[in-house]
Amino acid sequence: MATGNAKLATMAWRNIWRNRRRTLITVFGIVFGVFMAVLMTGIGDSTYGQMIDHAARMGGGHVVVQHPDYQRLPTLKKTVPDAEAVEAAAAELPHVEGTTSRITGAAMLATAKHSQGTFFIAIDPERESEDTFGILEGRWEGEPLTSADQEHAVVLGAVMAENLGVKLGSKVVYTVTDKGGEIVSGLVRVVGIVTTGAPSLDASLCVLPIGEIRRSLGYGPHESTMVAVFIDDHREADAVSEALAARVPEGVAVLPWNEAQPDLAGFIAMKQGGAVVFEVIIMVLLAAGIFNTLFVSVMERLREFGIMSAIGFSQRQLFALVMWESSWLALVGLVGSVVAIAGPYIHLSTNGFDMSKMMGGSAEVAGVAMDPILYVRIHPESALSIAAAVVLATLVSGLYPAWRAGRANPADAIRVV
Amino acid sequence: MADDDGPIVKLEGVHKTYRQGEVQVKALRGLDLSVQPGEFLAITGPSGSGKTTALNLIGALDEPSEGSVVVEGRDLARMSRAERSRMRRDRIGFVFQAYNLVPVLTAYENAEMVMRLQGTDPEKRRERVMSLLREVGLQGMEDRRPDQLSGGQQQRVAIARAIASDPVVTLADEPTANVDSATAGKLLDIMEKLNREQGVTFIFSTHDPRVMERARRVVRLVDGRVEQDETRA
Repeated sequence: MATGNAKLATMAWRNIWRNRRRTLITVFGIVFGVFMAVLMTGIGDSTYGQMIDHAARMGGGHVVVQHPDYQRLPTLKKTVPDAEAVEAAAAELPHVEGTTSRITGAAMLATAKHSQGTFFIAIDPERESEDTFGILEGRWEGEPLTSADQEHAVVLGAVMAENLGVKLGSKVVYTVTDKGGEIVSGLVRVVGIVTTGAPSLDASLCVLPIGEIRRSLGYGPHESTMVAVFIDDHREADAVSEALAARVPEGVAVLPWNEAQPDLAGFIAMKQGGAVVFEVIIMVLLAAGIFNTLFVSVMERLREFGIMSAIGFSQRQLFALVMWESSWLALVGLVGSVVAIAGPYIHLSTNGFDMSKMMGGSAEVAGVAMDPILYVRIHPESALSIAAAVVLATLVSGLYPAWRAGRANPADAIRVV
Repeated sequence: MADDDGPIVKLEGVHKTYRQGEVQVKALRGLDLSVQPGEFLAITGPSGSGKTTALNLIGALDEPSEGSVVVEGRDLARMSRAERSRMRRDRIGFVFQAYNLVPVLTAYENAEMVMRLQGTDPEKRRERVMSLLREVGLQGMEDRRPDQLSGGQQQRVAIARAIASDPVVTLADEPTANVDSATAGKLLDIMEKLNREQGVTFIFSTHDPRVMERARRVVRLVDGRVEQDETRA
């Protein structure tokens, strides 16, 4: 705004400190609002990121490569024929931290007394780590699988094992439909029982070595139902997915996590929408507080604005002066927020809130195993959005008081002596 | 611009009517007045005679209900709000009864503000303001804020602010009303000196006999009209 050489920024800065207590109360309001927004957004950013990572580790990664029709109707006939080539292509992309081939599908597990249907997951244990396969962090009885070709071995969830009435070393028969549509069975022994803390996972988990399953299903040596791609930041999933789609052979589909797991994406979007509404409410309250401060301050100084108008300040300059005051309040509020919030933020991003008691021992949200400790870790772009929202709220709050200052009538102001 | 020999302020048949609730107040009822460059003029009269209203109209702070107010050949009634604002900034100086300095600015900053608004070169500005502050006896007090100055000192800053930009006319509304006799005398000395040595035109609205004594022309208003117009040698 062209306002000439009127020293407006300096005057505005001094003006906001004329009533120090009022300014400090307003700044405290901004700090409180920013803290609440950071808390809400930081918990969301951290929790949803954690959920996405957990879901990726139990499913198809942050980006999944699979048969184009597998998503609509998953069957063991729909495969990625050369998973090794896909993994090699993915490994060259930026942000990719790991890749692994997996086979998932429906199976019937049976013992002499019990049977239960489930979705199994077949893995190459030598290609998996805690970063790619979440259950490895669980409480173990026995051992995880050791190799893709480990013979006659299965790992079960604790509730599943209990339902089947099996212990370590017990025999279980799995039955699946092979690639040709034939029903095939295999005998395995329970080598590990894991408690993940997510009840639905513990009741359905069945992990088999991928080599054994490939043989049972009649798959080729590099064939699988999916290639799971893990990346360093789930927000890059769309970009990685797009880049990988250009490198994989025809006949396979590349999906980011939000398309591969629409339920989870929908849940997160809904929660984020709720958080945005809450943040908007915070910003409106914050704006109302700032408006009140500026409006009262302008009304108290109408005569002063009249005098300034009399000596030659233009309407635009008076308007700009109050907008400067508004901007200074925003800036002081933001700096104050950074100073006041830094300590609590560092503490909460490092130690978090322990929610295990509130979760009642079950750490599962929307079917996804969760860490019972809630961390506050805000994404830089979210922090910038909050800062921008504060600046916007402050500037919008200043518009009417600034307009009112610009309209101050010098004659009226001078007459009241 | 006005001719060199013509009046710098000319009011012809000026009427001003205010509404105060349901009541209409006729503050001016056909005021005619011409002011020549370099005059030291006091407008006086009883309360409600229209002194301040006349000053407001000459200062482009208000518009007449009827008649014309011409400053430097320009009819103020035909100017937009922005043009009147520029006219006040560039051509008219104000000294108010209650000093009315900007409280967050120092004496120096207050005195230079109008020149700043005009975009005057900083060096020229500094030279002019320092010289004026010296002239009004405030040397060494440049960095004081209004609340660190006495009433008389504040009014001196206001005088410096009013004339810093070389206005064609300086309007002073009861400039001595809030100061003691000694200070009033000093303020009048300063304004008289500026008028005599620098040719600054002053128009006072006042009840103060001390101002009327010093004025070289006294215009007495009664009921919004000129009752007496006396020029002294």
